[in-house]
Amino acid sequence: MSHYRRREFLKFGAALPLAMQSLSLRGETGAKEKNPPKRVIFICNSLGFYAPNFFPSKRDDFESSTYLKEIAVREKMTVFQNLFHPGMETSNHDSEKSFLTGVPRPEASQFVNSISLDQVLAEKIGRGTRFPSLSFSIYDRGWGCSWNSRGVAIPPMSDERKIFDRLFGEEDLTARRRQIENDRQVVKSLYRDMERIQKQGGDLTKIESYRAVIGELEAQLKHQEFWLKTKKPEVPDTLSNDQEFAFSAKVRNLLELSKLAFQTDSTRVITLSLDWIYGAITVPGATGGWHTLSHHGGKADALAKLSRIELDIVRNLNRFLSDLDGIKEGKGTLLDHTTVMIGSNFGDSSNHICKNLPTIVAGGGYRHRGHSVLEKPTPLCNLFLDLLHAHDMDQESFGSSEESLGLLS
Amino acid sequence: MKRVSISFFSCAMLLIGAVQPARGSDEKVYDILENYCFDCHDEASKKGGLDLMAFVEKGHREGSLIFENLVTGKMPPADKKQPTQEERVIVLEWLANRQEGKEPDSFRRISRHEFVSSLNDLLGIDLDLGDEIPEDRGTNNFDSSRKIKLTREMLGAYFSVADRMLNHAFPAGGFPIERQWITNKVRDSHESYRIYHRPYEGGTLFSWTRANNGNSYSFFYDGFDPPVAGWYELTFDAAKVAEFQDGMSLQVHAGKYYYADDRPQPQRLVGVISLGNRDLESRTIRVFLKPGENISVHCYSRHNFRERNPNRGIYIKQLKVRGPLVDSWPPASYSQVFAGLPLKADSRVNGKTERFQTNLQKIGGSVMVSSSQEGMEKEKLQDGSSLTFWHTRFSPEVAKPPHYVIFENPNGAVIEGLSFATWQGGNGNGLVKAYEIYFSNDGKTWGDKVMDGGLDVRLANEQPIVFPQETTSRFIKFLVTDAVSLDGKSIASIGRLDVVASLVDEAGTSVVRVEANSPEVLKSVLRDFAERAFSSKLGEEDLKPYFDVGLQELAKHGDFVMAAKVGLKAMVCSPRFLMAPGEHANDSFAKAADLARALWLSVPDSELLAVASSDGLHGDTLRHQIHRMLDDKRSGRMIRSFSDQWLNLRGLNKVTPSLKLYPLYDDLLDHYLPLETRAYLQHLVRGNLSARTLIDSDFSFLNQRLARHYGVEDVIGQELKKVVFPEGSPRGGLLTMGSVLKVTTDGFNTSPILRGAWISKNIVGTPLSPPPESVSAIEPEHGNAKTLKEQIEQHKNNKTCFACHKAIDPYGFALENFDAIGEWREQYKIKQAHRSTFTYRPQGYFKTGGRVDASGEIGSEKFTDIFGLKKVLLAEERQIAYHFAKTFFEYANGCEPTLTRRLHLWNFLGEDPANLRLKNLITEVLVESLNEAKK
Repeated sequence: MSHYRRREFLKFGAALPLAMQSLSLRGETGAKEKNPPKRVIFICNSLGFYAPNFFPSKRDDFESSTYLKEIAVREKMTVFQNLFHPGMETSNHDSEKSFLTGVPRPEASQFVNSISLDQVLAEKIGRGTRFPSLSFSIYDRGWGCSWNSRGVAIPPMSDERKIFDRLFGEEDLTARRRQIENDRQVVKSLYRDMERIQKQGGDLTKIESYRAVIGELEAQLKHQEFWLKTKKPEVPDTLSNDQEFAFSAKVRNLLELSKLAFQTDSTRVITLSLDWIYGAITVPGATGGWHTLSHHGGKADALAKLSRIELDIVRNLNRFLSDLDGIKEGKGTLLDHTTVMIGSNFGDSSNHICKNLPTIVAGGGYRHRGHSVLEKPTPLCNLFLDLLHAHDMDQESFGSSEESLGLLS
Repeated sequence: MKRVSISFFSCAMLLIGAVQPARGSDEKVYDILENYCFDCHDEASKKGGLDLMAFVEKGHREGSLIFENLVTGKMPPADKKQPTQEERVIVLEWLANRQEGKEPDSFRRISRHEFVSSLNDLLGIDLDLGDEIPEDRGTNNFDSSRKIKLTREMLGAYFSVADRMLNHAFPAGGFPIERQWITNKVRDSHESYRIYHRPYEGGTLFSWTRANNGNSYSFFYDGFDPPVAGWYELTFDAAKVAEFQDGMSLQVHAGKYYYADDRPQPQRLVGVISLGNRDLESRTIRVFLKPGENISVHCYSRHNFRERNPNRGIYIKQLKVRGPLVDSWPPASYSQVFAGLPLKADSRVNGKTERFQTNLQKIGGSVMVSSSQEGMEKEKLQDGSSLTFWHTRFSPEVAKPPHYVIFENPNGAVIEGLSFATWQGGNGNGLVKAYEIYFSNDGKTWGDKVMDGGLDVRLANEQPIVFPQETTSRFIKFLVTDAVSLDGKSIASIGRLDVVASLVDEAGTSVVRVEANSPEVLKSVLRDFAERAFSSKLGEEDLKPYFDVGLQELAKHGDFVMAAKVGLKAMVCSPRFLMAPGEHANDSFAKAADLARALWLSVPDSELLAVASSDGLHGDTLRHQIHRMLDDKRSGRMIRSFSDQWLNLRGLNKVTPSLKLYPLYDDLLDHYLPLETRAYLQHLVRGNLSARTLIDSDFSFLNQRLARHYGVEDVIGQELKKVVFPEGSPRGGLLTMGSVLKVTTDGFNTSPILRGAWISKNIVGTPLSPPPESVSAIEPEHGNAKTLKEQIEQHKNNKTCFACHKAIDPYGFALENFDAIGEWREQYKIKQAHRSTFTYRPQGYFKTGGRVDASGEIGSEKFTDIFGLKKVLLAEERQIAYHFAKTFFEYANGCEPTLTRRLHLWNFLGEDPANLRLKNLITEVLVESLNEAKK
C-alpha cells in the first residue's frame, strides 16, 4: 500500500476528483508590495515563426494573421515588424546566442558574447526575489538566451519536475543553513588557495576566471541565506503529464512554471528557449522534425506541418498570456505588470536569415499599439533600450542600439 | 573546423616546429601553388570560392581547409598535375607555420562527468550524479572544449554534488542498516492489463504486453519501498514457462506505481534478466534505487504477446531484496581516505526479513467492521488488493445499516488520513459513494463528525481521504453514508482501506568511527588525498588553506571525519581540481593527470602516481602506462564518453521512433543499441585492431534482441557476446549499427543528406567549406523514393549546393537500405492512419511502398549498395584513421590539433601499417599531445 505524505496529498490533489481545498493563491499573486513589482519574460522561439503566418497581412488587423488571431489579449500587445540585429542579417543557429545581447557574428569561431538583457534587468529588478533570474529550455542544451556579465552562458534548466522542486519544494532549513555555513568556510579557504596558487606562479587568466566565478558564488550564498528566512510558497502541482503530445506538454509546463514563479513572486526575470533538434515531435495535426521542417524551402507540405507546430506554440503562449491576465494584482492583472517579449533570432529560419525578426511585446502595462510597422530596418536593441528605460534604467545604449524609440511607454 | 589551437601541455615542441621559415620560403610556396593550384584557385576562377592568390598575398593565417585537402591528397584533383611529395610537404609546413600565433585558451574546466567519476574513484564509491549538474557542452563538439567557461551555476552544482558524494561516502549518521525484503505480491493494475498475468504456483505467471500507447507495460511489486537512496540487490526466483527455444527477458524497471492510467508513463529500465531455462533459478541484479521508486517487471518474449490468463510466460515465485548495500565493511571510502587509521565499525546486517504489511499493520493496529459476508471478511480490506473485497452481510439476511469500518490505533500513531480503493471487477453493487469520519478514544463515545466526502465509484485507483488535522485518536470510524445498490437493499463493499500514517523507519544505522582526533593526523589524511586529487606533491604552504578549513572544523566540533570532509570538499572545489592543467610538481605528474582525465575521466591511480613521483613518465614507460590504462576497466568511461560525443549517441534516446512504422521498437533495443557500439569500440581498442574495422568487420557484440534486429539467428539470451555475422550480412562496422542508423534519423523517415553529413563529418572527415548562408533543406517524403532522389538530384542542378553535396549525400544513399531504427529494408513503408486514439499493435500501421535504391557515386567511385560503399571507404583507410586521430585528439585536449601536429599524425600513419591499429593510434595521439618528441 503506497503511503501518501501529507504534502503529496496536496500535490496530487488537483489531479484527483476529490479536489482539494481551493488554493489560496488562485486568482491573485503573492507579491506583498503595494505597487505591484515589474516582471519580464523573454521567450525565444529559436527556430523562428513562418513570417507570412505570423505578421498580419492587413495592417493592424490581427485577424489577418494565422497565428496572432489565436491570441486573446490583443489589446494588451504590440507586434513589431522590421526589427533586426545589425551585423547579424544572416547567421546560423548560433544567432540565438545574440538574441538578447545583440553582439554581432555569433557564428564566428572567435565569438565572445556579452551580458544579455535579462541579466541587466535582473540586476535592477531581480534582487528582491528568491531567484534573481531563471532560465529555461526544452532540453538540456548548455546554453540559451541568458549570458552573464562575462559573456558566459548560464545553463538553462529543462527538467520541469526539478524546476518545480527548486521553486516550491520543501527544504530542511536547518540542514540548508548548515550547508551554507559549510560552503562559506570552503569559499574562504578557496580564496586563500587562489592567493597561494598565484604566488607560486600559476596561470593568471585561469586564476582570474576562477576568482570571478567564486565571487559570484559567494554573493549567491549570501542571497540564499537571506531567503532561508522566508518559507517557499506552496502551490498545487498543475504540471501536465500528457504523453500523447509530450512536446506540447513540455512547453506548457515551462510556461506554467513561469506563471507560478511570477505569481508567487519567486522571481521577476525569466528567459525561455524553445526548439527541438532531435527526432520528430507530435503536435495536434502533425508529426515531424521541427528543425528539419523549419527548413521548409517553401514546400507546401512541409509548411503545413511546420505551421501546426508553430500554431501549437502560439496556443500555448496564448494560454500563458490569458492566464497571466486572469490573475488580479493591484488595480490590474499580473499581465499588466509583466512584460512578455516573444520573439526569435530568425526572421526566416528556412534560409537562416535574421532580418525582420518576429517580435511581440505583450503586457507590461504599456500603451500598446497593435501592429507597429517600423519604416526602416531598426535594431532590436533600440526596443531593448526602451525596455530598460521602462524599468527605470537610464542606460544610454544597449548592444547595437542607436537611439531610444519611445516604442514602449 | 576552423578552430586552431595549441595543446596545453607545453609549447616546447611547437616552438621547435615554429622556427621562422627561411626567407624566400613564401616565394618557393608561391611557385608551387602557381604550378599546381592557381589554374583553378586564382582571382578569376576562384573554384570552390577559394582564391589562393589572395590567401598568400593578404597573409591570411587560417589555412586548415587548404591543409586538409592537400594532406589527404584530395587536391589537386586526381586528373590534374600532381606536386611531388617534397613540394607537398613544403606547402604543408608553410601552412602550419603560418597558422602559429593563434593562441587557444591555455586551460579548460573539467567536465561534469570527469568531476563525478573522479570523486567516485577518490572516495571509493559508485554514485552517478552527472545528471544533477547542468549540461554546459552546448554546441561544442566535446565536453572538454576549452571554449566552455566555468560558471557560478556549475561551481554551485559542484559544491552541492561534492557534499552529496562526501555524505554518501561518510554519512554523518552512519550507514542505514542492510535489510532484506521478500515479496510475491503484485500490485493491482488496470483491468485492461491485469488479465495478462495470473497466480501460479504460489507466485505469478506473466505474459508479455505493451501498453496501448506503446510503452512497456510493467507490473509492480508491493512489499518493498526503498527506504533510502542506494544500491540494492534484487533476486528473482523465476523460470521460463514455455516450449519455444528463445530465451525470455525479465525487464526490471523502477518508477512510481501507477494504476488508473492505461496509457502509462515509461519506467526506468534498471536491469534485464535472461531466462532460457525452464527450471526455477535465483537471478540477481544490482540496481540503484531512490525512495519513492517501486520495482516493476515487464516479461518480454516475441512469442506470447498478450496471452490472457497465460499458460506461457515468465513465472516469478518471489522477489527478494537486500540493501542498501555497502560493498565491503568497513566501506572502501574509509579504508581509502583514512588509510592506515584504526576503524571501529558497528555490525552491518540486522538479519530481519520484512514481508508485505499494510500501514495499519505497521502501526500495530487492527480493523473492525459492522458486519461481513462469508468469504468477504474484513481481512480483505487489508490484503493489498482491490480485486478482493469486504462486503456487508447480505446472506442469509441483509445486515442493517449503519455500515462502517473502525480502525484501532493502539499505540497512538500519528494518522493523516485514509486511503480508499473501490472494489474492482464486480457488478458494482455496494460501492461506496459517500462517507463520514469520526474519532474516538475509547471506541464507544464518538465526537462530532470530523469530515465527510464523496468517492468516485468509477475510479479504480486509490482515493486519498485527508483529515483536516492529523490525529492520534485510538479509534477512527469510516461510516458509509451512501453506496450503490442495484436492488435497493442497504449494502456496502470496499476493495481496500488503510490508514495513512507517518511511519518512522526504525531500521537504524551502523556507524563507522575513525579512531583519530589529532590535527597532525588530519593533516596527513588531507595531504594523502591532495596527492591523489591533484596528481602532485604539494608543499605544506600550498596545503595550508585545506588544512586550515579542516582544522578549524575539528577545533569547533571535534568530529574528525566531519573535519576531513570539509577539507576534502575544499580540495575538489579548488581551481587545482576544476581547471586543467593544474600546477604539478613535475612533468610526469602533469602527464599522469592528463592521461587519467582522458582515459578514465578521473584521477591517476597509485601505480601512475608512483611512476610520476620519480618523474618517470617518458618513452616506453609512458607508452606502457597508456596501454595499461586502456586495458583497465576504467577506460570504459572513455569509450562511453568518446563514442557518445563523437558519434552523437547522447541524442539516441531523444529520438522516439514511430510505433506505427516500427512497432517492434522497444526500450530493450534502445537500451542495448549503444551498449553494442561501446562493446565493439572497446574491443577494437583493447584488441588493437586496425582502423578499417571502424568501417567493416565480420562481427559485433550482440544478444538475442540485437540479433533479431539484425536478422541473425540462434543468439539466445540477453548478455552481449561476440557474434560472427553470417556470410552476406551487410552488418559489421559502425555505419551499419542500429545506434548510428537510429540517431541519424528523426524516428520516422531516413534522410540520406543527414546520414551522409554524419558520415562525412564523423567518419571520413571530408574537408568541406561551411554551407552557404542561405540554405533550404529537403524534407524526406517516404514511400516515394523516386521523388526523394529527384529532390536530392536537384542539388546537382544548383552549383553552389553540388560542390559540397556530391561529397556528402552519396554516403547516405548507401544507407537507404536501413530504416529509421536500423532494420534492413528493400522497400519503404508508408504510414497508415489509425482510428481515433493510437492503440499499440505489433503489426503497426503501414503498407509497403517503393523499392529502395541505394546506389551512388563518390568521387569517381560508383557503388550500388552498402557493400560497395564500404569498399570505397576501406580504400581510404589512412584518411579514416587520420580523422579518428584528430577527433580523439580533440576529445582529449578540448581543442583541434594544430596543423603541425596534424602533419605529424598523417606522416605517422603512413610509416607502418601497424600504426593504423587503434590502440597504437590512440597511444600516439596521447604521446603527441603530451608533447613527447617522436622517436
